[in-house]
Amino acid sequence: MIVAENLVKEFRLAERKPGLAGSLATLFTRKHRIVRAVDGVSFTLPAGSKTAYIGANGAGKSTTIKMLTGIMTPTSGRCLVRGIEPYRHRKDNARGIGVVFGQRSQLWWDLSVPDSFRILHRIYEIPGPVYRRNLALYRELLDIDALGTTPVRQLSLGQRMRAEIAASLLHDPPVVFWDEPTIGLDMVLKDAVRHLVNHVHRELGTTVVLTSHDITDIAAICDSALVVDRGRVVHQGSIRDLLRTADRRSVLFDHRDTTAPERACAGIEQGLPGVSASPAEDGRIRVDYPVDRFTSRQVLAFLLERFDLVDCYAPEPDLEDVLRRIYGGGRPEPVPAEIPCGPAAGGA
Amino acid sequence: MNRSPLPEVTSGTPVRPAARVRHYLPFATAGLQSLLQYRSSFVTTGITAAAGAAVSVFLWRAVYAGSPPGGGPGGFTAGSITTYLLMAQILQILHANRVDDEVAAEVYRGDVAVMLVRPVSYPVVRFFACLPVVAANAVLVGVPVLGLFTLLVPLTVPRPADVLLFLVSAVLSVLLAFLVNLLTGMTGFVTTNTWGVRMVKQSVVAFFAGQLVPLALMPGPLRALASALPFQGMVDAPLALLLGRYDGVADVAGVLARQLGWVAGLTVLSAVLWRAALSRLEVLGG
Repeated sequence: MIVAENLVKEFRLAERKPGLAGSLATLFTRKHRIVRAVDGVSFTLPAGSKTAYIGANGAGKSTTIKMLTGIMTPTSGRCLVRGIEPYRHRKDNARGIGVVFGQRSQLWWDLSVPDSFRILHRIYEIPGPVYRRNLALYRELLDIDALGTTPVRQLSLGQRMRAEIAASLLHDPPVVFWDEPTIGLDMVLKDAVRHLVNHVHRELGTTVVLTSHDITDIAAICDSALVVDRGRVVHQGSIRDLLRTADRRSVLFDHRDTTAPERACAGIEQGLPGVSASPAEDGRIRVDYPVDRFTSRQVLAFLLERFDLVDCYAPEPDLEDVLRRIYGGGRPEPVPAEIPCGPAAGGA
Repeated sequence: MNRSPLPEVTSGTPVRPAARVRHYLPFATAGLQSLLQYRSSFVTTGITAAAGAAVSVFLWRAVYAGSPPGGGPGGFTAGSITTYLLMAQILQILHANRVDDEVAAEVYRGDVAVMLVRPVSYPVVRFFACLPVVAANAVLVGVPVLGLFTLLVPLTVPRPADVLLFLVSAVLSVLLAFLVNLLTGMTGFVTTNTWGVRMVKQSVVAFFAGQLVPLALMPGPLRALASALPFQGMVDAPLALLLGRYDGVADVAGVLARQLGWVAGLTVLSAVLWRAALSRLEVLGG
């Protein structure tokens, strides 16, 4: 569905010197610096996948999205969306994609949301039944009627984003690119958006590419992740695979013993060297252990032997921590070809 | 998804013009709807235009007050110079299509990106979006100002045939104004100071189109220069036809052909520049 082959985009930036004197100097001499925003990125996203395109700020996410939507031409390499090179056949590509740029509005600033939709209806030549079906869907899931006839410029950010998301799906595009689509949405609406995208994906097999800084969005909407750092792909695989690259896992438990929490923690840290234990806010005790030294089985066995457990759970590793480690110059994790079964490998 | 890499793409298929227009008409509708939200702007445009017309009309009427009935400088009479200046003002209202402001702003802010994810050509969208602006300016500003001055000052009544020629020429002048403003707005790709560019454009057009001073009153070399520029087709050409200041059918054909040539030339130029600009587009931020 979406293919990138050695995609490179370079920008020429004018170097500016600091201060007034520097500004004056740039009037006469101007040095340019080549910045490589996307550095030989290659990937393939299958049809019907829901991929989170993840990267730190300036990682080339938006630039890549702009090449995939046909707005920018790559410096070298190429990309294909539905078999089309977007920047060569921008208008053909545009018919088959839906786009949300979180920071820009694609609605008509001075018109109401229903008026904007009517115009999109005609531009994309959306068949009547499809248009009405989608409007009914947005009415049900996004409460789009509540926006009424207010001009878009007077809507709140959250209201506008609702309309933007609906607008990007109105013509049943096979591919949607959502660049930060949930900016300004409250929890209830975020949930509604997730519901909507999952519904559309189920019904139409839409391919979704999402960039977001919100980890919960990524986890709720996407099934796979493409992690880009400094313009290069450092991880591609399922969100589960990504989480598996975590080097620390945690277990939280509650117990019936009367030992003071501090003493219990000290006991754990003594018994399992390299592990840190601390009282959690909810009265439980939190145990963080490095996966390369202990298996979860070892940790649990230790806890079961020491304490009279009444409650115990192991949360998913924090995606944010995982990403921070990847961005933090940590070595790129080798992507496992096959998802291994059973507990995490590695022993003490 | 089932397409093999690099299939034959449909962009080469010819699209019937009617189908094209259907894609773009919604932008005209949207433009009109947006416009109706700002009714008061027509009042201010009207007052500005009427005041501008009043200043130049009364100034030039004073100049021509003592001129012989056969015609003063440039062959104008008091009546025909009044008509010229008033109609120049009306044409200027028709040329105020806001395309330069909007293109410059969208390019500068990077909002042009949003337009580019739609299956339409941006310059064509801008053309259709400016049609209601031009129409509304004509009806809501042009007609009242013209009516007002008809009551205030004596005007030359043109021959019906000349009115028809003027209407054709005025349409071409509106197209020229669109193209000039589109090119002006597109300077946003290379400079952030589009305000300065727009100011310069405004002065250049006002002068070389013959809006401030009729080209007939300019010294020879300057008039030759003005005639060689596209701006001549914006005011001087339609008004020469309106006032019957031409020499036979061949002269009329020449005036219209020159306008048409500039429309074609500037269309090609803006298409080429637009493509070049897109290929090196760097939408900042976001």
